[in-house]
Amino acid sequence: MSDKPMKKYMKKSEIATFGIGLFGVALLTGWMPDYTATFFADFAFKGKGFDPDTMANALSAVFLVAGIVGAVCELVIGYLVDNTRTKLGKVKPWIGFGVIPLALISMLVFVAPNTDNQNVAIAWMFIIYSLYTAFCCAVESPANCFGSLCSPNPSERSSAISIASFLRSVGQSGGMVVILVVGLVMKAIMGQQQFKNAEAQGLDLIISTAVCALGLILFVMIFFTNNQERVPFTQEKVSLKDAVKVVFTHKNLLMVSLTKLCGFGRGVYGTVSLYIAIYLLGSKDLKLGLLLPMGIGTAVGTLLVNIVLKKFSTKKTFILFCFYGASSLAILFLVSKGIGFNDGLIIPFLILNFFCGLQHGNTNVTPNIMIADCVDEIEYKTGKRQEGLAYAGYGLFSKIASAFTKALGPWLLYTWSGYLASTNANIAYADQTDATLNKILMIYTIIPAIFVVLQAVPIFFYDMVGDKKENITKELMKRREEKALADNVSAEN
Amino acid sequence: MKKGFNLKIYAAITFFVIAGLLATITVTTYTNRYNGFSPEKTAVAFVQSIVETGDGYNAYKNTLVSKNYKYGDFIREYYIYPAIYAESDYKPGDDRDELKGFNDDSFKGEKTLNDDGSLSGKVIDTMYDYYVDLMKKYKGWDNYDAVFTDYMKELSKVREEVFGDKYMTDEIFFTALESNVRTYGESLTGTEDEFDANTGIQTSIKQIGAYEKAFGEDYKFTYEVKDTVILSTTNAPWDKINEHADMLETYKTDISEMNDLYSVIIEVKANGKTIATQEVRVVKINSTWYVDNTTVDTTALYKLA
Repeated sequence: MSDKPMKKYMKKSEIATFGIGLFGVALLTGWMPDYTATFFADFAFKGKGFDPDTMANALSAVFLVAGIVGAVCELVIGYLVDNTRTKLGKVKPWIGFGVIPLALISMLVFVAPNTDNQNVAIAWMFIIYSLYTAFCCAVESPANCFGSLCSPNPSERSSAISIASFLRSVGQSGGMVVILVVGLVMKAIMGQQQFKNAEAQGLDLIISTAVCALGLILFVMIFFTNNQERVPFTQEKVSLKDAVKVVFTHKNLLMVSLTKLCGFGRGVYGTVSLYIAIYLLGSKDLKLGLLLPMGIGTAVGTLLVNIVLKKFSTKKTFILFCFYGASSLAILFLVSKGIGFNDGLIIPFLILNFFCGLQHGNTNVTPNIMIADCVDEIEYKTGKRQEGLAYAGYGLFSKIASAFTKALGPWLLYTWSGYLASTNANIAYADQTDATLNKILMIYTIIPAIFVVLQAVPIFFYDMVGDKKENITKELMKRREEKALADNVSAEN
Repeated sequence: MKKGFNLKIYAAITFFVIAGLLATITVTTYTNRYNGFSPEKTAVAFVQSIVETGDGYNAYKNTLVSKNYKYGDFIREYYIYPAIYAESDYKPGDDRDELKGFNDDSFKGEKTLNDDGSLSGKVIDTMYDYYVDLMKKYKGWDNYDAVFTDYMKELSKVREEVFGDKYMTDEIFFTALESNVRTYGESLTGTEDEFDANTGIQTSIKQIGAYEKAFGEDYKFTYEVKDTVILSTTNAPWDKINEHADMLETYKTDISEMNDLYSVIIEVKANGKTIATQEVRVVKINSTWYVDNTTVDTTALYKLA
């Protein structure tokens, strides 16, 4: 057994449909937060005469509360998943049945009540978006941890996770394509001005959400009917206290989760991308141009990681990509400084942006594979298999990191960089000093680079690789075979 | 599992049931929110735009003008391009690829090239007084043809005086006009003190608007549809529209496309008290209602304060 390649368990179509399922989930969940914010702020209560400052503050609070709800739900759903025992498995029922309320609640987020009472409007925003967040966790969290259950073969499992992660990252941008197509169809049917009138009511958002929600159902149902959980769940019930303990005390799992926290500042570049487009590249229209090469780079990076993983361990792959990522950002900084902020910078900047995007493939894929390995290790040590909690723990740290990013980004831009907002009603963006422009460039490049290096630090202490990983995999296979044999004997008796 | 629960049947049923529910929610929401499917909502949206902020300019987005045109493109084609391509004898609909207009970079003078926004601001401020005069002269926006024509002419003149060149683009026109329309609205509604969220610098000083003076600081307008009368059954109302066949031709539509004609009577109330009654005629083309701007008279709505 030791010299033979390990048996493959998954049908080829299952690898594809696993990815299709994650694509479907990301198609909706990748779209919702930004467009919900737009809908709540601009369309939901248009013409009602509500106080704009109160609404703006309420909107911030809605997303803060939803973040807390999401963090709590990550743990609760993880705990519930690990205590789920059904013939379909422990994860599949959450995904297959959870998509129904998720699709409907997502739709209802865009159906604002016709009220003239501002308090009712604010209460509705809190309730509907918190509900959405809870149902989103109930589907997204289990969907993300399905990878650890799809095959007992770590190599096969890694390939499936890589391909599914690639499709998930494509799905996250799918909503943008949907709204584009919906807009074109509406223009063709209604005429340009009537489309503009409908757009002013947020109606294109509503139709696009319906399309994404239907896509969610379609793609998840394809996954639901074709995919199987192949790693048997353990029978012991897990208490909530023990469950939370697993997340915080299991060294390797904690190290993977800490990558999120240590690298929280990676995402601050998003805060300044608009200003990079305006001040450094010369047009705010180039914001999409900035994000596109990086998005393509991320998708390519996801596939590239799969190739690198065939040669190196998850630990080496993660560290390698982190140092590559930091280097590419540093090169982008140096090239930008060298060329200067003028038209000549646009093309090199966009090309380098693609290469900077490659590193994101690593953060999309490798931690998910590492967590699946950690789940094996936990099962090896405790006899309990806890995918739900392991991924929930990672999700919890991701949400905390995301909150830090959202706080750090604006502070860096508006306080540290010395950014000057326009005070002239006729000028959208005020002139900035060279020092400020340099700092904006640093927020886009050097500061994320530092956090990219920092996120690699916990992985130096990660050791679920090499012989240890191989031995644990073999031991678990042996235990499962023995258990299956014992179950057959007791069934015969 | 195979006997008890068939995954494929569950998946198929779920897909079709959810598709049905999503379609129902979408259609219901769309119908409720989109004004164009209801004669009353179309008429109220038109009146509301004028009453709330004196914005007869944007009110045209609900009218026959916007049936086949994107409103901005209509303005470009009939009022802006004729001024920009004045030396090329441009006619609406002409191909502009071969034409050289004042939007060409060669018309940019030193001041245009070096403006940090302050000269553009001066043009907008100067044009605001002219815009207010136009509103008085034409009693609102019903004669949009005269408003656009005069405004474009004056804008070209004022800009040339300030910048010393003939450079002109559609963006310059829309920036100035829309800024003036917004300021005009604020003169009615009033403004609050505003501070920049990041720097704390005051960006705007509180001003009492004409509506606040007339109806109190917490005034609230409401709109009540008093009556909807079907006019399609008799010839006279259609004949009245047909008197403006040349305008309809400009909008690339004609009376044969219209399959219904209603008169909607709307009461405008300030703090619950009726301050104006407005008749708006709306026509249905396919499934969408449009305000018949060829026959409407909204002058009373510009005198509410």
